[in-house]
Amino acid sequence: MTGVAPLQSGETYLLPERIADLTGLGEFGVLGELVAAFVGAFIVGSLMLAMTGVAGPWAKRKITAAFTDRIAVNHLGPAGIFIIVADSVRLLSKENIIPEDADRPAYDLAPIVIAASALLGFAVIPMGSGIHLADPEVGLAYVFAIAGIASIGLIMAGYASGNKYSMLGGLRAVAQNIAYEIPLVVTGMSVVIFAGSLQMSTIVEAQAEPLVTVAGLSIPAWYAIVNPFAFVLFLVANFAEVGRNPFDMPEAPAELVAGYQTEYSSVYFVLVYLGEFLHIFLGGAIITTIFLGGPAGPGPAELGIVWFLVKIWGVFLLTQWLRSAIPRVRIDQLIEIGWKGMLVLAFANLVLTAVIVALIDAPGL
Amino acid sequence: MGGFPRSEHTEMNQWIAVGALAVVGLLIPIGMMVVSYLIRPSVPETSKRATYESGEVPTGGTRIRFNIQYYMVALLFVVFDIETVLLFPWAVVYRDALGEVGVVHAMGPMLLFVGILVVGLAWAWRTGAVEWAKSPRQVEPEVDRP
Repeated sequence: MTGVAPLQSGETYLLPERIADLTGLGEFGVLGELVAAFVGAFIVGSLMLAMTGVAGPWAKRKITAAFTDRIAVNHLGPAGIFIIVADSVRLLSKENIIPEDADRPAYDLAPIVIAASALLGFAVIPMGSGIHLADPEVGLAYVFAIAGIASIGLIMAGYASGNKYSMLGGLRAVAQNIAYEIPLVVTGMSVVIFAGSLQMSTIVEAQAEPLVTVAGLSIPAWYAIVNPFAFVLFLVANFAEVGRNPFDMPEAPAELVAGYQTEYSSVYFVLVYLGEFLHIFLGGAIITTIFLGGPAGPGPAELGIVWFLVKIWGVFLLTQWLRSAIPRVRIDQLIEIGWKGMLVLAFANLVLTAVIVALIDAPGL
Repeated sequence: MGGFPRSEHTEMNQWIAVGALAVVGLLIPIGMMVVSYLIRPSVPETSKRATYESGEVPTGGTRIRFNIQYYMVALLFVVFDIETVLLFPWAVVYRDALGEVGVVHAMGPMLLFVGILVVGLAWAWRTGAVEWAKSPRQVEPEVDRP
């Protein structure tokens, strides 16, 4: 592998290392490094939880209300923002009703699996302003693998609830994940062909140079601009993967009550709901990193985190827009779109990208 | 890593941080569960715990034999998933391989590999494997239903 990746691991100044240097923890050997790693992990975890906290109880309601010409929450605080606090207290202090047919250990573990797996994916995402927890050479493969764990949580929730709606929801989640996982990964692979690496920092760096300069405005070589076909495919596959409209089959409120989360109440419901939002943001973070230049944007490099958040909130807004605008597909249509449409297009895109890269790198063949 | 000024700062094993995030990711949900356990009421009542079936008295369990209707698709998934894993190393080295061994040797094996699977997919498509299987009750005429 020598000479393949321009950056080897360890060249990015990662968040735990920065913390170790700033606090002097690095002098305490492995123990100091552990503490620094935990502080870094806590910062990243809190940042993502804060975002889901804003998105779930407040932003989602406000956005949907804007689309349907309503006002939504407006009593607590400016624009109703303190509903976040009220909702957290309300949901945590609700009685936890466990259905009598529930399969106990699995029923209790599912919310933890769903929430934790989404959080774990953010470890390799470069968020700008030095917030980057880890940068392994297998970054992209890691994040796809971690995002896939959620399906296990969904089917655990579906089966263990002992409810017919839940079981149908859980099985639909699996059907959907296996149909769209491959288009997702294969489309992601076309980015890997361009960047020549799975490492997130290398993929971001490869998008840094300006592609063309038009009238003083330089257009960056983001892979969304270099390869828009792959970008659109990836967006669609991602919406199916995180179960958002028009592919929200596992929940399908009109058909399955709430799908796999029908029997969850109190803190368990909070965790399942939280996990869903974390997954939307994780999908947004992957899209941002491999297609939208990661934390790149105008202004000084310190603004990276701002641009990163703007981009993932952009993806989140798009999911909410689709939620209000596009009707849900039927489950058999979903399977056909996945296997007869997306899969074929994803492989066509892979071959096309390989041909284009060959033409760029070796024009004379 | 030639010439990069890097000994100025601490260097850590990357996976320590990933492990730390895994622990934090488990501690946050468990912490929330503990907080909720401390503040929530518990008013046991049998009918409350009944399985939800739109307000009706629940009939039958869910531990039944159930046609998942995408069995063939799930088998196909295993094949294609392994294929994507095997394609990843190719995607990483492709650009360098172009310069070293030329287009034919860099792209040819991938095209052959994908081609074999595309033939497999075409066969599955023709035999109707990539479709939502209809249950016998859906296929039979209306009068046969109980």
